[in-house]
Amino acid sequence: MIKAGQIEKGTALLIKGQPFVCIDREFVNPGKGSAFVRLKLKNPGTGQILAETMKSQDNAEEITVEDRDCQYLYNDGSSFHLMLTDTYDQLEVPMANFPDFEYLMKDGDTYRCTFWETQLLDIQIPSKVVYLVTEAEEAVKGDTVQGATKYVTTECGLKVRCPIFIKQGEKIRINTETKEYLERVNS
Amino acid sequence: MNNIDKIKAVKNRSILYTNIRKFFNDKDYLEVSTPTLSSTLIPEATIDNFSTQFISDFYPNKELYMIPSPEVFMKQLISEGYPSIYQFSKCFRNSEQIGKQHNIEFSMLEYYSNGMNEQDSIELTSEMIEKTHLKGTPDWALPPFNKMSINEAMIKYANIDLDKNQRQSDLYEKAIKLGLSSVNKHESWESTFNRIFLTFVEPNLPQEKPLVLYDYPKQIDCLATNQMNYPYKKRWEMYIGGLEIANCYDEMKDEEKIKEYYRKEYMTIVNERSSSSRVIPDIDDQYYEFFKSFPQCSGVAIGMDRLLMSQMNIDSIEGVILFPFSDMIR
Repeated sequence: MIKAGQIEKGTALLIKGQPFVCIDREFVNPGKGSAFVRLKLKNPGTGQILAETMKSQDNAEEITVEDRDCQYLYNDGSSFHLMLTDTYDQLEVPMANFPDFEYLMKDGDTYRCTFWETQLLDIQIPSKVVYLVTEAEEAVKGDTVQGATKYVTTECGLKVRCPIFIKQGEKIRINTETKEYLERVNS
Repeated sequence: MNNIDKIKAVKNRSILYTNIRKFFNDKDYLEVSTPTLSSTLIPEATIDNFSTQFISDFYPNKELYMIPSPEVFMKQLISEGYPSIYQFSKCFRNSEQIGKQHNIEFSMLEYYSNGMNEQDSIELTSEMIEKTHLKGTPDWALPPFNKMSINEAMIKYANIDLDKNQRQSDLYEKAIKLGLSSVNKHESWESTFNRIFLTFVEPNLPQEKPLVLYDYPKQIDCLATNQMNYPYKKRWEMYIGGLEIANCYDEMKDEEKIKEYYRKEYMTIVNERSSSSRVIPDIDDQYYEFFKSFPQCSGVAIGMDRLLMSQMNIDSIEGVILFPFSDMIR
């Protein structure tokens, strides 16, 4: 058990038998009221978002989660297929639970994954990752309307806006949270 | 906060206070200065207080409290026949969150208008902001005010008609339907109301103009008078930019009800805090006597740091306070 006032972003809770991870927390003191905590919670298994307001002294059921390494094998258009690197067990999770992750995860790469018992709650993608540019538009000389940028496509299919000097076959670093270009990487 | 921003905030505070003093002085309100250290407080179960010790070789030692609001003294002055009064004071609330919206020591403007009710106070407050605001105040922080009753807001944003959900069991059912899981069948109506209000209503309140939310549920006990025949109190709160900035009552003057309020709040405090180290303030059990001669009156409290934030379009209270508390505990 944990006091609601101690819940932080990332705290995993069991609510109505379902695991939820706190994605936003705000303390509120109504004019004539005791201290409350306004929470935004996400069930990573189903993607469900829950709004909840608890008194700071309310008890919440905290659950213990563990991180394990998983190798990303492939996706079949509706599910991600992963393999636990310690047991070689394979697991399948709906792609809809991790929107846009297919544009960020590279086949064969290993990711830290958060589990509650056997349920996969989160796939941790590093905040900055290097990708190979597999397609690049030809830059039009003198076209600076877009601030001298163009679109390129990475090996995972992510389209990003980047400076016009980036060419096919080069590597670029991307912020995986904002999906924005950060810099060219010289290999 | 860099030095230029600090100086700007200090200057703006000075201008705003000067303008507000002129506004009230022109209306013949008397500026008063009452203590920030008090031997008794008005019992309020939802407020945690600071206590300190009076030490003397000549008198018995005594526990004293930092005031959470100057109400306890200002109402005494009104009962003694003072005209309308106002005051800028420092107030203190313990165990509140620290950060963007709260500082445990903060500045309050409180004004009591003799012979007026809470509706008059809306007009007065609107006129005050209109005439005293800083240059460059964003339009969303200026009158005219939007007005909405609490029940209208509950119907609009949570689809709950409070008129038809006066029983805790009914409100509890509604909360469950809305998907709230921490709501408890045995908690007070007020707790369930607060959970619903804070989850679904407050975050969605319109922000294009200051908003006066009026007619607070009577279940949220306070020293405001009751509406005749409706389960609401003559109390309003004003939100500016989504932030709660002012609170107003049509002041209760029924000494028996005040005595009862004191008793109930004090018992709640004793029951809730006896097992913890939290402060149980002394109360003046003869305080209700002041209300034998209390006139029709409406009181407004405005968080000055927050008002300044709204007029300077700054989103953190630490942007208008020179020495924020968070720096002291870092």
